[in-house]
Amino acid sequence: METLFINDLKPLLDAVAKQMELYVPKKSGDYYVFSRYDKQGDKGFEFNNIRTCTPIKEFLLPVCELAATTPGPFQAKDIKPFAVFGLKDCDLRSIAILDKVFSEEEFEDPFYTARREKMFIISSDCSDPAESCFCNLLDGRPFAESGFDLNVSQAADGFIVEAGSQKGKDFVKKYSQLFTTVPKAVMAERDERRAQAQKQLQENNAELAFDRSVKEIVEGSWESEVFDAEAKNCIECQACTRICPTCHCFYLYDTKQKDYFAKMKMWDSCMRMAYAAVAGGANPNKVLGDRLKHRLMHKFVYFLDRYGMNMCVGCGRCVDGDAGGIDLREILKKLSQEHKGEGKKKARVAK
Amino acid sequence: MNQNPYQPINGEIVDIIDESPTIKSFVVVTEQPFKFETGQFVELTLPGEGEAPFTPSSAPDDSEKVEITIMKAGRVTALLHECEKGQKIGIRGPFGNGYPVDDFAGKEVYIVGGGVGLAPIRSLFLTLVGRMKDFKSVVCRYGARTPEDFIYKKTLFGPWQQIKGVDIKLTVDEADGGWKDNVGVVTTILSAKDVKVNNAVAVVCGPPIMMKFATLKLLEFGFEPKDIYLSMEKNMSCGIGKCGHCMLGKYYVCKDGPVFTYEQVKQYPKIWD
Repeated sequence: METLFINDLKPLLDAVAKQMELYVPKKSGDYYVFSRYDKQGDKGFEFNNIRTCTPIKEFLLPVCELAATTPGPFQAKDIKPFAVFGLKDCDLRSIAILDKVFSEEEFEDPFYTARREKMFIISSDCSDPAESCFCNLLDGRPFAESGFDLNVSQAADGFIVEAGSQKGKDFVKKYSQLFTTVPKAVMAERDERRAQAQKQLQENNAELAFDRSVKEIVEGSWESEVFDAEAKNCIECQACTRICPTCHCFYLYDTKQKDYFAKMKMWDSCMRMAYAAVAGGANPNKVLGDRLKHRLMHKFVYFLDRYGMNMCVGCGRCVDGDAGGIDLREILKKLSQEHKGEGKKKARVAK
Repeated sequence: MNQNPYQPINGEIVDIIDESPTIKSFVVVTEQPFKFETGQFVELTLPGEGEAPFTPSSAPDDSEKVEITIMKAGRVTALLHECEKGQKIGIRGPFGNGYPVDDFAGKEVYIVGGGVGLAPIRSLFLTLVGRMKDFKSVVCRYGARTPEDFIYKKTLFGPWQQIKGVDIKLTVDEADGGWKDNVGVVTTILSAKDVKVNNAVAVVCGPPIMMKFATLKLLEFGFEPKDIYLSMEKNMSCGIGKCGHCMLGKYYVCKDGPVFTYEQVKQYPKIWD
């Protein structure tokens, strides 16, 4: 991998912005959100030591978009190249998950792939994981080694820039005058920072060291009462699924426009009451606790069975965003404990 | 498949047949040829109003026309029931996997249906009898709520019963004065002697509760779960395994079904809900 050094981020961002639209993190309250990069710097760009609050899927699956028209046909339009700065390893893994679903051979979503192909990804190391981050439980790390075009690691006196794709290599070649070689001490500093962030994550999540895989814990919980109990705090705001970078359910609906009919595609949530209901009235997930169970089963069992990976990257956005205070980690802990007490529970039931 | 999987192709309703008080069949002609396999489903769009999934009830060899039988059950189906001949309509698909008819060769095909569940079964039935010599027999057991709720009355009560190799028995939940046949739910006309289980496949389609009890009965007769084909009803929407509404365990009913063997889905709870 091509590894280079740059003293300041501004020339790098300016160079990207010269080629395409660029979105960068800026602070909004306690969190980071994405904002269009402005060379004047008056939009408040800030290097994010942690993931943004909003999910990356926004760039690939808009909240609502036109999917078809009558009269038609309507086709996905060519998208102009765009770049996003400040993605973390969890974000890159969330894109890999969405790719599995939307770039699937024979069943491709042309609207997704049009954007995906034009997205220039600049990731960065996570030097300050949040209390809610638990990526280490799901094979994630606070730094990325693949899945990006460029990756940026912050050091005391500058930034290490790595090119991870042909697009990235072409970019650093074109702007080679911006970069110098990486001083050896800076590489060592990066290793040290990365190790420190990993340690912090492990400490934060010491209680999440399970004796079996998350899949086994969740899969074995069909009869568990934990979901109904946890759902008592749920106010059905659906924030958990909207803010989740991997949740990708959508709803197709038809509308009348002035001179055409439109079929729209809009984010949906499996936590919504009528989500799985059919016209005849049947609904396998009428009960809120069952919907919560389905959400976890999809993330940790079904998706894994189907695509060979968990549909959760442990970014903790759902923990931060949940108005009812439902914490995925707490649910997993409770299910794990229940698992351990399984023998005892069965004996109780038998009485 | 269409380049944009969400884009319907244009069609027009050219005929409407009243089947029962709540069920109508719509004959749709499409601008482009529309090929499907029996048991696959389509998404029918009423432009500007909405879309809903249906399994065509016509035989798949007729690419000029697609016939779709629709029960008035929700918002879109109620609007469709108000449509008249000439109504422009959109159609997406076909989606998913239908009945593996070639695998049924040399066997007895035991079809159990209820209510509007006869719609996909009609497509299968017409496919089977179109090449009857390939199968040992086609045995149908079919129930409706009342005699007037039967669909395809003209063919069901007459010509179909005359086809050589076909054995049809009917039942109703509630009889009226003219009904001379069996009264009771469909499982009451299933008998272990209907077919030789070790050389038969079963096909079940109908309301979930009927499918559940019919499946249990078939298992009791000795059918292997892999030989029981179920046409699952879930909230299929996108048709390509993405939007998530029709998930049944790890499966997307729209893409991996709607026809499943019981073997595939039996591991999951609540498949009948």
